[in-house]
Amino acid sequence: MKVAVLSESPADELAVRILAQAVVPHVIEPVDILPLRTRGWPSVLDVVPVVIKQLHYHTLADGLIVVVDSNDSPVHTATHESVGGANAHCRFCQLRAVTSSTMQYLRPISGRSTLRYAVGTAVPAIEAWYLSGLNPQASEAGFLGGALVHDRRELKRLVYGTDRPGLSLEMNRAAMEAQRLAAGIHDLEISFPGGFGRLAVALRGW
Amino acid sequence: MSEDPIITDIQFSNFRVLRDAHLPLGQFTLIVGPNGSGKSTALKAFHYLAYAGNYSAQTLVSAGIGPDQGQSVSIRMKFSLPGLRLDGIWHPSWMGLQWQGSSPEFQRRFGNALAVTRVYSFDANILAQPVQLQPNYQLGERGEGLAAVLDRLRDQKPERFESLNAELARWLPEFDRILFDTPGQGARAILLRTRRGHHSIPASDISQGTLLALAILTLAYTPERTAAVVCIEEPDRGIHPRLLREVRDAMYRLAHPQDYGESRPPIQVIATTHSPYMLDLFRDHPEEIVIAHKRDTEAAFERLSERTDLQEIIGEAHLGDVWFSGVLGGVPPEE
Repeated sequence: MKVAVLSESPADELAVRILAQAVVPHVIEPVDILPLRTRGWPSVLDVVPVVIKQLHYHTLADGLIVVVDSNDSPVHTATHESVGGANAHCRFCQLRAVTSSTMQYLRPISGRSTLRYAVGTAVPAIEAWYLSGLNPQASEAGFLGGALVHDRRELKRLVYGTDRPGLSLEMNRAAMEAQRLAAGIHDLEISFPGGFGRLAVALRGW
Repeated sequence: MSEDPIITDIQFSNFRVLRDAHLPLGQFTLIVGPNGSGKSTALKAFHYLAYAGNYSAQTLVSAGIGPDQGQSVSIRMKFSLPGLRLDGIWHPSWMGLQWQGSSPEFQRRFGNALAVTRVYSFDANILAQPVQLQPNYQLGERGEGLAAVLDRLRDQKPERFESLNAELARWLPEFDRILFDTPGQGARAILLRTRRGHHSIPASDISQGTLLALAILTLAYTPERTAAVVCIEEPDRGIHPRLLREVRDAMYRLAHPQDYGESRPPIQVIATTHSPYMLDLFRDHPEEIVIAHKRDTEAAFERLSERTDLQEIIGEAHLGDVWFSGVLGGVPPEE
């Protein structure tokens, strides 16, 4: 199954691919195009429709995964899943809305199955996922309750030992922590039900 | 110098476009602003202090101030050690360097450090040129001697040279190794080996951006340890926006070596940029950004983190976009 990942850095993409493989019931492999990348929020909302059209019309991609950091935006909760409950400031809700609306306007291509998609938000940043299972406060509940540090620099210090990690260090840590988390992926779903749990639900449906 | 106090502030008086300005500095500082806003002028302070006796007030004074007005030009450096400062003063009839709060030993070492401090502004054509080997060749301000610096690194620190090769291959995956040619006796030229096919591409046929990236990387792996500061003009120039993260990491490797597995002491780094993409990379570190403001014929500096309304202004937007909008200042004036 050919899957594209749209994320903010090669390190994020590496982690997302490992975590997704722990959930998707097929072997996933990269799409035969140059790596996709976003400059982060808010430009990802402009880029997602373009990426979807490119993947659908010009590649053999089977699926697209989009993951962004939530930063200080509202955490995606079960309330947002109810009819009419989408939160206009929730990045998960915004991403899902722009993705699904773009999909509606794609022309069917003969012999081509519909592009699958799944979105996720790391609360407040992907480093919090890396701390899952290591730091009892590393969860969406911990974030909402104020137990998990909100400051991105402090999160980086906790994970990398510095708030100025080089990309190599980020890649190494992403691979190491994602492999650890993949071995017990349900724990990550439980700790981060809105941002990762909903992503996992979508991926299992592929 | 690196274990010594760092420069925390440079105050300028009647110094060209910097009539009354102070530049706040940290271990790493990125200055952003329009052309003519004093960024490059500020970096020249190191040269003028190092060779103060070669210059007169008349050559340094701001435009519009005549020799008959008796105005002095001054550059004052303050350090992280309270009370320590260096004043360079150019009076119409005399000049002098005055230290306060320093030992003679520090004065001597800092003087030597100033003399070898460089403001790098790399030129791809110069980077590509073969060079005649000399002992202790240092990278020139426009990139002179790149081949010699890399050749010496290979000979004297082969493990570090291999680390640089590995980093280069990560930055530019089409290449996997730096090779050398001997175009004449005692001369060296650079070639890059392609990952596929192992073809050797001479520097003259390598893209400008690739050479500029190689220069930044070389600087990060072969710093002039005795320099007071490393200054880099527009390290983003000619480099793809997606590679700017690596460029930032290279500068952090100099300024924060312990975070990059280096055992050497940190080096103070000052860089300039016009790139909103580069600025985006410092969103979490506004204390490292200095905005250069241009006001008529004068310029002023402002540390971004000193803006109390910063988070309110930026919100969810990209820092580079907010700067480009003009809300933070540091943009060209318009008629």
